[in-house]
Amino acid sequence: MNCSDVRDMLESYIADDLTDVESARVAEHLSECATCSATYERTRNLVAGLKEIADAFVPADRFVVPPAYATGPKGGWAWRVAAIAASVVALAAVSALSVPAIARELPLPVAREIGALEERADELQQQVDELTVRLETIDGQEVAIVDTTEGDLSAEESEAVQRLAMDFVRAQYAGDPDALAAMGTDRLKADLAAHPGDYLRAGGDGLTFAQMTEAARTEDGTYLIFVRLSDSGDWSESQYQEDFEIKRVGDTYLVDFMGMDA
Amino acid sequence: MEDNELVALAQSGDARAFTMLVRHHERSLYAAAYAITRSQWDAADAVQDALADAYVHIKGLRDPARFGAWVSRIVVNECNDLLRKRARVVPMEDPPEPQAFVWDGPEDGLDLMRAVQTLSPDHREVIALRYFRDLKVAEIAEVLGCPPGTVKSRLNRAIGSLEATLRPGTGQEVPR
Ligand SMILES: [Zn+2]
Repeated sequence: MNCSDVRDMLESYIADDLTDVESARVAEHLSECATCSATYERTRNLVAGLKEIADAFVPADRFVVPPAYATGPKGGWAWRVAAIAASVVALAAVSALSVPAIARELPLPVAREIGALEERADELQQQVDELTVRLETIDGQEVAIVDTTEGDLSAEESEAVQRLAMDFVRAQYAGDPDALAAMGTDRLKADLAAHPGDYLRAGGDGLTFAQMTEAARTEDGTYLIFVRLSDSGDWSESQYQEDFEIKRVGDTYLVDFMGMDA
Repeated sequence: MEDNELVALAQSGDARAFTMLVRHHERSLYAAAYAITRSQWDAADAVQDALADAYVHIKGLRDPARFGAWVSRIVVNECNDLLRKRARVVPMEDPPEPQAFVWDGPEDGLDLMRAVQTLSPDHREVIALRYFRDLKVAEIAEVLGCPPGTVKSRLNRAIGSLEATLRPGTGQEVPR
């Protein structure tokens, strides 16, 4: 193998895209040829820089998939959200933690939420009419809950799921990946390990649980719950929603999925 | 969860699994699209449209292990469509703010991207697919529909151009 052959194969050698035999031959030449060896070092540095680029581009707006118009009538997260909302319609509003006074001015965000759900499924319309408000204590805090119809879950079940979701959010703002992992299934742990930035948040001083649904249970036993949050002092700003899927393993509830909606 | 499993789940209609696939691939797809289109906004559009397309057609993907190459091809096609459209309109500078991406890398990392963006379209493609999308020569050949030998020679020439551009002391400014 001469220098010219080696130069042609150098890129593939660095990218580990050669057969073992080819790779060994290139390595052998590099160990004997100072000129090729210098070229190799230079190219390898460039390639190392190139390889670091991709992971550093964080799209400012997350890509929304599936897009609303592509969502089929069956299967998929969006459909299940709509189906659960239609069958349970247990929208609750919770203000907790810092509870700015304005957060008491319910159910405006609830109406907004229902509007969003209505866009996902028309049949929600007739089922989201009546709202009643009651006060409940969740996780040691008195919270306002806006409830439409009764769910099919026991109070203990629903509260356990709600509490887990709230604890998860608090751990997100505490920036505590270990606590998050301890509350998650293996699936969530893997996603957390791969994308910690999707889960960890900073600056939760103004964290407010603006609104939370009752927990609902799907046919396969998964619990769904949506939490609407505000993470700034101004309650009307920086609101978003976290969608949780929660599994029950023995007596323990674990987060299986957390997705964000704007 | 591995991509293979997620692809299989997504093919059975699990939109969550598809969302996770998107999260695994969105940065490198965006980087590839940005390298090729040279516009942060076109790149975002290309990736969004490509992912929507991929979501609709993922059932047609026979081998889940080929997801990475498959979705790369859809993005490259979207990018090339945009480039063709752009060729017919007056070139427009990216607005300075707001940015379509957040740079989460070393300070000089964007300089390297700018250098990639000065390459010819063919060379931008192979660099993006090779180093951002982490594809093998055989996969790039499939994505671009050209012989593997062509991919190799394009890669070699693209690397050569980049080294010339970046070589210190030449005083060469990287044009935007
Ligand atoms: Zn040599």
